[in-house]
Amino acid sequence: MENNKCKDCGLSSPQESIEVMRRKTDAIIDRIGTSREKIIPLLQAIQQEFNYLPSDAIERLYERTDIDRAQLISVSSFYSQFRMVPYGKHVIKVCIGTACHVKGANNVYDAFKRELAIGEDSVTTADQQYSIEKVACLGCCALAPVVQIDNKIFGHVQPGRVREVLVEFESMLSASEQDKASEGLQDQIQGEVRLGMENCCQASGTAEVHAAVVAACKDLGINIRIKPISCVGACNQVPLIDVATLDGSIIRYPNIKPEEVKEILLHHFRPASRLRRLRNAILNQIDTFHTDQTWDNILFTPEKERTQSINTFLNGQHRITTEGFGHLNPLDIDEYISLGGFDALKKALEAMTRQQIIDEVLKSGIRGRGGGGFPTGRKWQLVADNQKAAYVICNGDEGDPGAFMDRILLESYPLRVIEGMIIAAYAVGAVEGVFYIRAEYPQAVIRIRKALDLCRQKGLLGKQILGTDFSFDIRVFEGAGAFVCGEETALIASIEGKRGFPHLRPPYPAQSGLFGQPTLINNVETLSQIAYIIRQGADEYRKVGTEGSRGTKVFALAGKVNHGGLIEVPMGTTLRQIVDEIGGGVEGGEALKAVQTGGPSGGCMPAELCDAEVDFDALNQMGAIMGSGGLVVLSESSCMVDVARYFLNFTSEESCGKCTFCRVGIRRMLDILDRLSTGQAKMEDIDRLEELALAIKRSALCGLGKTAPNPVLSTLRYFRHEYEEHVQGICRTGSCKHMVKLQITDDCVGCTKCARSCPSEAIAYAPYEKHVIDTEKCTQCGLCIDECDYNAIKKVKK
Amino acid sequence: MKIIVNDKELEVSGQRVLIDELREVGCDIPSLCYASGANHQASCMVCMVRNVANDQMLPSCSTYPVEGMHIDTESDDVKALRRMSLELLLSDHRADCEAPCSMVCPAGIDLARLILLYDRGQMSEAQSLLASQTDLNNLPCADCKGGCEKVCRRGTVDKCVDIKNIIKEISVSKVTAMDGGRQSSNSGRQVADKKFSSKLGRFTESEKAWLKEVYTQPSRCLHCACEGQDKCKLRTYASQAGIKSSRYGVASRQIVKEQQHIVGRLYFEPAKCVRCGLCVYNSQDGFTFQHRGFDMQVVIPEQSRSHVDEHLAQLCPTGALFLK
Repeated sequence: MENNKCKDCGLSSPQESIEVMRRKTDAIIDRIGTSREKIIPLLQAIQQEFNYLPSDAIERLYERTDIDRAQLISVSSFYSQFRMVPYGKHVIKVCIGTACHVKGANNVYDAFKRELAIGEDSVTTADQQYSIEKVACLGCCALAPVVQIDNKIFGHVQPGRVREVLVEFESMLSASEQDKASEGLQDQIQGEVRLGMENCCQASGTAEVHAAVVAACKDLGINIRIKPISCVGACNQVPLIDVATLDGSIIRYPNIKPEEVKEILLHHFRPASRLRRLRNAILNQIDTFHTDQTWDNILFTPEKERTQSINTFLNGQHRITTEGFGHLNPLDIDEYISLGGFDALKKALEAMTRQQIIDEVLKSGIRGRGGGGFPTGRKWQLVADNQKAAYVICNGDEGDPGAFMDRILLESYPLRVIEGMIIAAYAVGAVEGVFYIRAEYPQAVIRIRKALDLCRQKGLLGKQILGTDFSFDIRVFEGAGAFVCGEETALIASIEGKRGFPHLRPPYPAQSGLFGQPTLINNVETLSQIAYIIRQGADEYRKVGTEGSRGTKVFALAGKVNHGGLIEVPMGTTLRQIVDEIGGGVEGGEALKAVQTGGPSGGCMPAELCDAEVDFDALNQMGAIMGSGGLVVLSESSCMVDVARYFLNFTSEESCGKCTFCRVGIRRMLDILDRLSTGQAKMEDIDRLEELALAIKRSALCGLGKTAPNPVLSTLRYFRHEYEEHVQGICRTGSCKHMVKLQITDDCVGCTKCARSCPSEAIAYAPYEKHVIDTEKCTQCGLCIDECDYNAIKKVKK
Repeated sequence: MKIIVNDKELEVSGQRVLIDELREVGCDIPSLCYASGANHQASCMVCMVRNVANDQMLPSCSTYPVEGMHIDTESDDVKALRRMSLELLLSDHRADCEAPCSMVCPAGIDLARLILLYDRGQMSEAQSLLASQTDLNNLPCADCKGGCEKVCRRGTVDKCVDIKNIIKEISVSKVTAMDGGRQSSNSGRQVADKKFSSKLGRFTESEKAWLKEVYTQPSRCLHCACEGQDKCKLRTYASQAGIKSSRYGVASRQIVKEQQHIVGRLYFEPAKCVRCGLCVYNSQDGFTFQHRGFDMQVVIPEQSRSHVDEHLAQLCPTGALFLK
């Protein structure tokens, strides 16, 4: 350990490096503070500085702050972000969210470990270059399986692509130092190229396209504005650019490659000088010759083909939360204002009383988008009735694996969320606001921070907002990795510097919340709809949706669907419409089996119920919940026992551990599911599982525990026969590895492709002979199945 | 204000938690994580009552009555769920209530206590205890097949404790008149038979190696019997609920018999802890929680042991914290 530190600070003796560490730690403490509630920001800063929590830095905390050992152990071991051992230089995070799970994330994790020769018990390479970890969800579900290395996200990472990804990452490391000086062409602007620059867009190559656009402009001497924009939601069609010319037309190019950029730009914009035009013409001829692609080929024919699916994806959607999708620059406050942004705030502050605002929200019928569906207006009223200074918290701790709505809303529409929050604060009489954003969303944190600064500069935050006597400001609190902190009382505990233990309600946060003050907690999406309600009026909002659930809902569509992405549809749209019409049907032409809604708290809706209209009450009745809005599509090749086990595994790891039913009960359910998926269960285990599930649902202390059995209860309700088959040792989909083995059929022609691709050398290299899989060595990663051109490898019962 | 408890009206102040109100009127509500007057947070869920209005279960130790509340404390439904909470806790509780040797002794001799006194060198107490339970001159062991040695847990580690010989040694040892005077009023342990008795299950290989290293007293006895027997609420309630053994097996990851000296006479055995948190909430920079979920444990760092005192043993609802 000592040696490591020295390498970091470049000093030779351990004493000196401890001295440096103390100085750095002191600087962090001076910056952040010494009170107990600062523990999470302090630990985050220390970990960012040293890459882990070194014991010498911790000792310094004991010496200089109010934090004691009991608190430190309690907090640092509760949140999954913190680590006590040094990690390698680069951290590989393999997403095991729902969408990634159903697409084989565990095989990807294993493949990285094999490729990097990381031992069974270790997570770091011998040369300390890479560490690997599984993370709950990176929120890029439409690109599953997803892997993040440092800040770079890679989408569609199959086990066979692991080496390629590492090579790409390392080549980027060496290249990143170059090209940074290509901005500021002042002349006449000829138009605009717009690209989505969210985490997930960057993951699928938009960063490279962005670089290509910059390079091409420089090269061609074209002077255009390159504008990062809000998410279009068509995550399946990225990289995607919009070219806006001066005549106002916008042409959209989905699925483009960096090498196509130049052609596209040349098609729309005239290079600066004749000479350049000429040179480019010649160069292009050479390019065309070499790549065997004609102009037409790249630009015209495919454009229509390519845009067709995206148009069906975008039809049928209704924009309130994501109004301005695809053209709004997330951090251009003037643009936001020019499009009616902050009109609602002005209206609220200047023309409405607090009670009028609350009444309007109440009348709109909007219900909380975080999962529970509690009427937002009633919540506001409860807080406002207290007559005490209150807090407003925006809950951006979106932890559901398989959901990424909040991340995109925070990254794409930060100003809209902030506007909603200021209106809420004014209505309930709050003095301070907190954005609680989970640590896995660094881009969202950066954007919100910038957006808050912009608002302060415009006098929209701070003292005497818009010249009224209303003062309010917002700070950002980064979560530290705990799903349970999405529960409002646990979230508050975490801001107060404690373990994320929920406590029994009542008292509700509306009466006694953050630091004992009345506190309003609303979800990101809820707040993002407030401005619309105030600006357009409750009546307008009520026109959309169903009787019990008004307005629109943003969903993260992922899993085995052709076009995943972020969508916003009116409440009451059916699941089948979403999957078939917006999502373009199930991937690979398979039959729809179920749609999982609401993440680990939700349930699986079988295909036959997918014609029901989706709103809060309908889903509850069917044993699922709306949740925050993750929709994971499951096809006939998804095993429902495996899906249930996956979620229970998640909740058992994320349980806070406070109450018996959640801590021990969920573990015991998982024991039974483990037995089921390995073929060791008995029939009575299914009854016992159900009994436990029903008991936990009624008796657990908080929302996480009470809803954790839902994935099991709903699959038991609609797919009980699959559980019974598992007792008999049958898993038809081959998802439960212990029950199946891979076998090569007589269709094998002996091409050796599988043998060459097998990472565990389970297939002997035998040209022109029928290949054989050594079951002992086989890890069932499935690479050979993908490689085989003759469809000759099958999963069969063991 | 008025609330309804099992269809009867009850007048309450609203200032006290439900469990206090209910116990006062004679409802027998079990609870582990609650101690009147001490800091606490609802966790064990053993004190659950049913809110008739919405069928949800409420921890009565942390719920304040509200006007018109309708509570059910004694239906089979409620009892079954309380029982389940106990069974779940027991499935993560790696301990023996009673020593197996004592449980099987046909003569009902309190072998566990005898061997404990023997190991402490308190031969006269041992002898008088033995005398109170059997005839010293005519030991029943002579004709006995020695079930005690067969079930001895030490036997699964290496070789069982030589129990019969130890009894013999106690019976014939010469004790001075000064030590020998006290008569034990303890007459066997018939009561224990009807009680619930937790079993710790099998040792793992690493535990065996560890036990061999640590348990080196004259008898080599592992002293399986729980030190917290007399005060253990978990056992009392499990007995009342008629639990024989947990239906969920014992699948704890706790290391068995790991007893840490805390301060003075206070010891801590994590394998018996039910994570109720009473010791955490009632110590300042002392006991604390570590990790989360099923892996959550109560720990106390070396440097903080002086921050706690012996009274915590009384708060602990099981034998996890005890005085030696």
